[in-house]
Amino acid sequence: MEVKRDILWRVYLCFIGMVVLSAAVLGRALYIQNAEGEYWRSKSDSLHTRIINLEADRGTIFSSDGSMLSTSIPYFNIYIDFGAEGLREKNGKRFRENIDSLSLSLSGLFADRSTSEYKKLLQAGFRKKDRYFLLKKNIDFSQYKQLRQFPLVRQGRNKSGVIAEVKSKRLNPFGLLANRTIGLARENAQNVGLERTYDSLLRGATGKKLVRFIAGGVAVPVEGYEIEPENGRDLVTTLDVNIQDIAENALMKMMVQNEAVNGTCIVMEVATGKIKAIANLGKRKEGEYWEDLNYAIRASEPGSTFKLATMLAVLEDKKAHIGNHVNLENGVWKVGRRTVYDSERHKRTEVTLQQAFELSSNVGMAKLAMNYYAKNPMQYINHLRKLKLHEGSGIDLVGETRPVIKTPKSKTWSATSLPWMSFGYEVLVSPLQTLMLYNAVANNGTMMQPYLVEEIQKDGLKLIENQPKIMVEKIASESTLSQLRTCLEGVVKNGTGKSLQSPFYSIAGKTGTALVANGNRGYSDHIYQSSFAGYFPAENPKYSCIVVIVNKPHAPVYYGGSVAGPVFREVADKLFALQAQQIPVKTALLPPQDSTSFYFSGNSSELRTILGKMKLPYRDSVGNADWASVQMDTNFRTVLHHKPIAGKIIPDLRGMGLRDALYVLEEMKIKVVAKGTGKVKVQSIDAGKPVTKDLSITLELN
Amino acid sequence: MNHLLNKTRGDKVIWTLVVLLAMMSLLVVYSSTGSLAYKMYRGNTEVYLFKQVVFIAIGLMLIYFAHLINYTLFSRIAQVLFWITVPLLLYTLFFGVKLNEGSRWIRLPIINLTFQTSDLAKLALFMYLSRMLSKKQNIIKDFKTGFVPVIIPIVITCLLIAPANLSTALLTGATSMMLLFIGRVRMKHLFLTGLVAMIPVLLLILSAVIQHNSNGIKAKAENRSRLTARVNTWVNRVETFMYGGNSQDDEDNYQVNQAKIAIAKGGIVGLGPGNSEQRNFLPHPYSDFIYAIIIEEYGIVGGAVVMFVYLIFLFRSIQLFRKCPYAFGAFLALALSFTLVIQAMANMAVNVNLFPVTGVTLPLLSMGGSSFLFTCVAIGLILSVSRYVEKSELKPAVQSSPENELS
Repeated sequence: MEVKRDILWRVYLCFIGMVVLSAAVLGRALYIQNAEGEYWRSKSDSLHTRIINLEADRGTIFSSDGSMLSTSIPYFNIYIDFGAEGLREKNGKRFRENIDSLSLSLSGLFADRSTSEYKKLLQAGFRKKDRYFLLKKNIDFSQYKQLRQFPLVRQGRNKSGVIAEVKSKRLNPFGLLANRTIGLARENAQNVGLERTYDSLLRGATGKKLVRFIAGGVAVPVEGYEIEPENGRDLVTTLDVNIQDIAENALMKMMVQNEAVNGTCIVMEVATGKIKAIANLGKRKEGEYWEDLNYAIRASEPGSTFKLATMLAVLEDKKAHIGNHVNLENGVWKVGRRTVYDSERHKRTEVTLQQAFELSSNVGMAKLAMNYYAKNPMQYINHLRKLKLHEGSGIDLVGETRPVIKTPKSKTWSATSLPWMSFGYEVLVSPLQTLMLYNAVANNGTMMQPYLVEEIQKDGLKLIENQPKIMVEKIASESTLSQLRTCLEGVVKNGTGKSLQSPFYSIAGKTGTALVANGNRGYSDHIYQSSFAGYFPAENPKYSCIVVIVNKPHAPVYYGGSVAGPVFREVADKLFALQAQQIPVKTALLPPQDSTSFYFSGNSSELRTILGKMKLPYRDSVGNADWASVQMDTNFRTVLHHKPIAGKIIPDLRGMGLRDALYVLEEMKIKVVAKGTGKVKVQSIDAGKPVTKDLSITLELN
Repeated sequence: MNHLLNKTRGDKVIWTLVVLLAMMSLLVVYSSTGSLAYKMYRGNTEVYLFKQVVFIAIGLMLIYFAHLINYTLFSRIAQVLFWITVPLLLYTLFFGVKLNEGSRWIRLPIINLTFQTSDLAKLALFMYLSRMLSKKQNIIKDFKTGFVPVIIPIVITCLLIAPANLSTALLTGATSMMLLFIGRVRMKHLFLTGLVAMIPVLLLILSAVIQHNSNGIKAKAENRSRLTARVNTWVNRVETFMYGGNSQDDEDNYQVNQAKIAIAKGGIVGLGPGNSEQRNFLPHPYSDFIYAIIIEEYGIVGGAVVMFVYLIFLFRSIQLFRKCPYAFGAFLALALSFTLVIQAMANMAVNVNLFPVTGVTLPLLSMGGSSFLFTCVAIGLILSVSRYVEKSELKPAVQSSPENELS
């Protein structure tokens, strides 16, 4: 027992050693928890969590009829990390095994490089061990989906090294249509158009999310640390895709034909001031046309269309009546040191004011201005101001240039300023402003604020609805307005706008032909700006429209009536036709019944009885099945087919009577809603779908 | 079932502790395999739960069958087994499967299972040691006839394990020293052995100091032969432990920091079962760093309970030793229970950063594998001894062979 006791104290000593050690371990754990606890706990967050930004979806811009004019779509930039472990392991085995098939697939998908070129490209990247090798930029979602199935790529990011970066791009499904007005949302340049005006709304608010990284580089969100991004609002514009298409095409046709420099065409709804279409085309260096600048809101010398304002002033001040006479001096009249010429040469002297307007006589207008306002030009200018011509349109579009209406106090005011202003020179107003004036005349004197955005929506719900806004309650008295309308109608009936006459409806408007100053070369390049502003139908105006086209230097055809006029006419014609079409047509034609193709089904023995009674020869391929269908085969024989109806699958019910269909479905415990009478034509759940509990099916009978 | 229970003998407390640890391992392994399962099975964590259940079932079967065998047979088996492990270790060293860094594994043909030969070698060594110590008790104080025959097998085994797995070798050596101390080997001899063993350890520490002072100019081992390849790892680990490591992305330092975060998060009662967060960041949360996860999920209380379970286990084995009439059985129970508990202590000490990082698992708690099964066999042997003790208590009249009795 001596030995045993000797051993025993040694054993207990060792046991005590173990106890001491375990106490040390627990003590150490407690030390880590308490003395260093704060440090380690805080470290845990910084080591594995990161705040990432959640990009908000940019809002969509819709047309008034709900078409998408501008929307965001995802696109992908594909990079390859040639340093990826899976790609390089075993001396690049995976890479070498897949490069040929991958190159072939890439070449097949993108068709921009041959297989061998792709192979060379990839090999070069692999040699350089490029960790961020750009393979392809801007591929769309469907291409990306295909790419993901490619050899190597489908093995995942760690093995293939393929990285896809998602970006979002603005897409204009209608391309050119109102492109400048809808605008551009660009990454590295300033936005334009509505995209810029409403940027803060469209953009939404970026969200934030705290994520924790776990195995495999996957980030999982930390609960309670997420600020949802607020997606951008959607805009519903006043633009109508159809009208825009008409306006853009009509303008484009004329511009190409005339090789014009730039042009614009705006269509406005008379009663509301809604811009239904706004086309802006400019000639590019390569000779083609594109929506490159919003010419509609850039001020220029308007020319003869401005004469309406002069007429309005004279009539409103009761200085004259449109029946009063004025001497046109054969179209040439000296004012001070300068001479006023009528742009279309004529030999007329005594005409009425109306005729002077219809002929677009500069002399006539200059004379009116000089006769009635020479002593007090401000009286005339105040009329222009009342028409808001000095203020701009106030449309919700960035890029409008300031109009210029001179006063006698202006530095550049001269003795000839007043007469020249009277026919549209020495003033700068935008086509849109001119259109506002014409629109007001059409709208019984009420000037509407033009606007482009009808509604602001969030997730399909209306947030803000813009109501039509009146700028000037009444621009002139009733009698003035009716005289002006008479004049405008007269232009098309008797004057410079004769070519616009239509047998179906009437147009009222005014042509304009203005010599345009070309920078410091002055008027010597003979660049003409042709315009036509007006409204239709004249008796009950619905739309007003202006077309302004700046012709190329020394263009052979430049008169407003023959350049801008036809564009106006085309827009008006087509719009009129569009209105006519909108009357619902009730004569929907039913497709002719083809007696040779029939299909009905039901209980097989009943069908046999019917066919027998009718003495119809038929082939029977039903066998013992309960249900059958009758149809014509390719050889025009009547065949009785077996109709498969199994317990757990929705059967094909077409051709069945309601009684049979009900029987079959009730057996399967499916609720039935039936519409109409006759045989089943459409079933709401397709045949072949599994039968689930509490299923309900809708049957349409013909 | 009843039949099986009736046939089950051995210390009831030890049985209970084993089953308790196995149940705990199910919980912790299930919770901590998320990260591994994500990589391997796309998040299907039940795969590992199922595997663990299978391992536990096999393990319990091994314990059961082992405890039915008369332990005196193991004395003979130990001798044979030890001499088998020597060529096996040599084979592993040169032709073994390389998992992680060390060449510690061999793949068994046919059943295609990798197992760590050092686990078998350890078991064989401690069985053999028990045999030698019990046989040589009378002449143990003598250097030539008592000490040398006992120390030789220890040296052979440790030297063969060391190149691939230094920490296991050191642990095995230390445990063996302790057993020699219990086995009444002269203190003078023990100190001598300790001194010799200290030489490589001191060299290691010295090179770690030098490497640290040379400030980052890491003398990368150019000759990456299989035996020397791991020297660098050892030096780095020791350096990290001694100086806390200054580079953030250092692998070992990362593990230690993550383990500390887990422990710090656990607090008194822990985050609750399955709520560990660090399991996603700790490498091997299901084996080497399972204790940190236990503290994170069950708090310092849970950690203490696990610790307590191992200590009770050890205590019960010591009680066995007191009752055991035969020297071999007594030493066998002591040797196996001490190694098991020392391994557990080592794992926990690594987890709380008392020891440098080593790849030692927590016996019975870490996710299965060959070491789990060898642990089960060891427990089976202990229970076999205990079964015999029970039997002899019931029938005290049974006489034993006088040769092996401690007088």
